[in-house]
This record gives sequence, C-alpha cells and structure tokens, in this order.
Amino acid sequence: MATGEEKPVMVVGIDESEQSTYALEWTLDRFFAPYAPNFPFKLFIVHAKPNAVSAVGLAGPGAAEVLPYVDTDLKHIAARVIEMAKGICQSKSVDGAMFEVFEGDARSILCDVVDKHHASLLVVGSHGYGAIKRAVLGSVSDYCAHHAHCSVMIVKKPKIKH
Amino acid sequence: METYVDAIGVDTEATTTETTAKQNKKKLKVMVAMDESKNSFYALEWAVEHLRDVISAEPETDQAGGLLTLVHVHPTYLQYIYPSGGTASAMYAIDSVPESMKKAREESTTKLFTRSLEICRGKLVKTETMILEGDPKEMICQAVEQTHVDLLVVGSRGLGMIKRAFLGSVSDYCAQHAKCPILIVRPPRETSTSSSTKEHKSK
Repeated sequence: MATGEEKPVMVVGIDESEQSTYALEWTLDRFFAPYAPNFPFKLFIVHAKPNAVSAVGLAGPGAAEVLPYVDTDLKHIAARVIEMAKGICQSKSVDGAMFEVFEGDARSILCDVVDKHHASLLVVGSHGYGAIKRAVLGSVSDYCAHHAHCSVMIVKKPKIKH
Repeated sequence: METYVDAIGVDTEATTTETTAKQNKKKLKVMVAMDESKNSFYALEWAVEHLRDVISAEPETDQAGGLLTLVHVHPTYLQYIYPSGGTASAMYAIDSVPESMKKAREESTTKLFTRSLEICRGKLVKTETMILEGDPKEMICQAVEQTHVDLLVVGSRGLGMIKRAFLGSVSDYCAQHAKCPILIVRPPRETSTSSSTKEHKSK
C-alpha cells in the first residue's frame, strides 16, 4: 500500500503568511508525523514567488529602477519561506519532502504543479478573506478548489474565540 | 424554519481496543457530506481510500480508529408549495409534508446510507450517519461546529463559475464558512485526455 509502490502525491502550497505556516503544520501533524518513517503520501512543498513586475504593478515613473530591488527582496522572502518550511519538517521529523519554488502567479503555479506531479491532493491555507476582499484580491484557495485537477484541502487557522 | 436533527448511530467493524492510544497519533474525526449525486459517492470513496491511513484503526498497534460521520441534509425546497386553483397569488407552503413525499424521502435516504455504509465496510473505522433538515450549506457548517470534527469532506459538482453564482455551491459556502479544514473532492474527469486521473487507485 504505502511501501515500495508509488505513494500518492500531496502538494502543499505555502506563502509567507501565518495561515500557510499553520496549514503546513496541521497537515504534517495529522498526515505525516505519526506515521514516520512510512509516510502515507509523497510530499511536495511549493512556494510561488510573485513576479517582481506584477508585484510592483504599474507604479508610474521610476518603477523600472525599483524592479531589481523588489526582485531581490522577493527572492529573500522566498528563501525565508522555504527555510521555515524545512525547519517545520525537521521539527516534526518528516523527511523526504521535496521543496520547490516557482515564479509567477500562485494560482496557476499550484495547478501546474499538481498536473506535473499527478498529485492526488493539494493543500492550501486560507487567508480567511471576507466576500469583498475575495472579490477584489482574489483568492488562491478558491481558484485552486475549482481548477486544480485533484482534490483540494483548505486548512484554515481557527479564529480564537472565547 | 424548523430544523430538526435525527442522529442514527451505526457501528461498522470498530476495533477499539484502546489500551495505549498515543495522544499524538489520534485518528481523525471526519465528516462527509452526502447527497444523492454520484459526486458525493465518489467523494466518499476517495476519502475512504486516501484517508484510510489517518482514520482507520490499526489493530496491530492497538491504535483506535477515528470517526467517520456521514451527514445528509434534506433541503426544504419549495417543492412543497402547491399552487391552488389557477390563481398564482394563492400559492402557499404546506407545513406538513404529505405522507407520500415523506415516505419517498425516507426511502431515498435509506438507500443513500445503505450504499454509503457499503463503501465504508471493512475499513476499520467507526461510522455513523446523521440526517439534518434545512438549508444544506448552513446545516453542514452547523454540524461541523457542534461535533468538532477535524475535517469536512465534500464532493464538488464541478460547476462553472456562472452556474455556481446562480445555483449556489455548497462546497463554496462550506469552504468559506466551515470552522474546520475542508477537503473538496473533484469529480474524476470523464474524458481521459489527460493522464492524471486513474493512477492512484492502488488497493
């Protein structure tokens, strides 16, 4: 079942937000940590680094000079995100995970990665935006839930109540 | 609107010899929302197969299994509105559903759960069923809150954006409002144009 033969593939999409970290930890806690060393899934952790040009947008004059700095900054963020993900995996004794960084729009990247690895499951966090923010900022988890070619698990950080 | 909960507990092969259940190895409590569509059944099969490791009991290590709750919501649609005579303005909602419709509903629910429990048989997980009445999206989210499940599983009809805006989507609503992580199982693709559909059916 989970030995020798191909394991089903799980892709976890992360960014630098807390919700992402929570989603990764939750997933590792429930699906991987208790089953060491025989994990039920093959794990890919994917970070989508936004394109410098799209991050800056049409900011008017001077945008071209800012681009290299923005780009370096984004690279630092991406590196930090991956470091943190590696740290989390290590702290839960989860090894064998593959880490990947792609540049571009998170939505299409996650869907492409799913196709590339023939994943059975895509896990994303959710910023918990309300309806208006979702409409304006767009929601990666929404997009993936509808367009990925595999099942999607959306892990939300529970809001602290009473 | 009256909402009424009728919980039927059915145990399938539950090996719960929990002598030393390690705290961090607790199996998940999973709730699966069912309706009569085949996407729901596919979602249940997918969940039982892929989540088998995280919900099934392990007799070798005396690890108790988790809990699988199948929930079905009877929508109180306007099917129970009968036009009287010819005048459209005299439409009224009948509070008490006529006997025949009630019976038909119960039969279809029984069939649904029989089929679902068949899928869960032999998977070493305690399964229970729950019937709710009301608006499916809200009732499912309420059920999640009340039972504190770890994961909600829903199928998805794979509606396009426009249909989804008009017909409403239970999976969308639950993804936004449920208080626990949600797993949306996409229907398998009918056409085998891409090669990424059926390779993970290893038993």
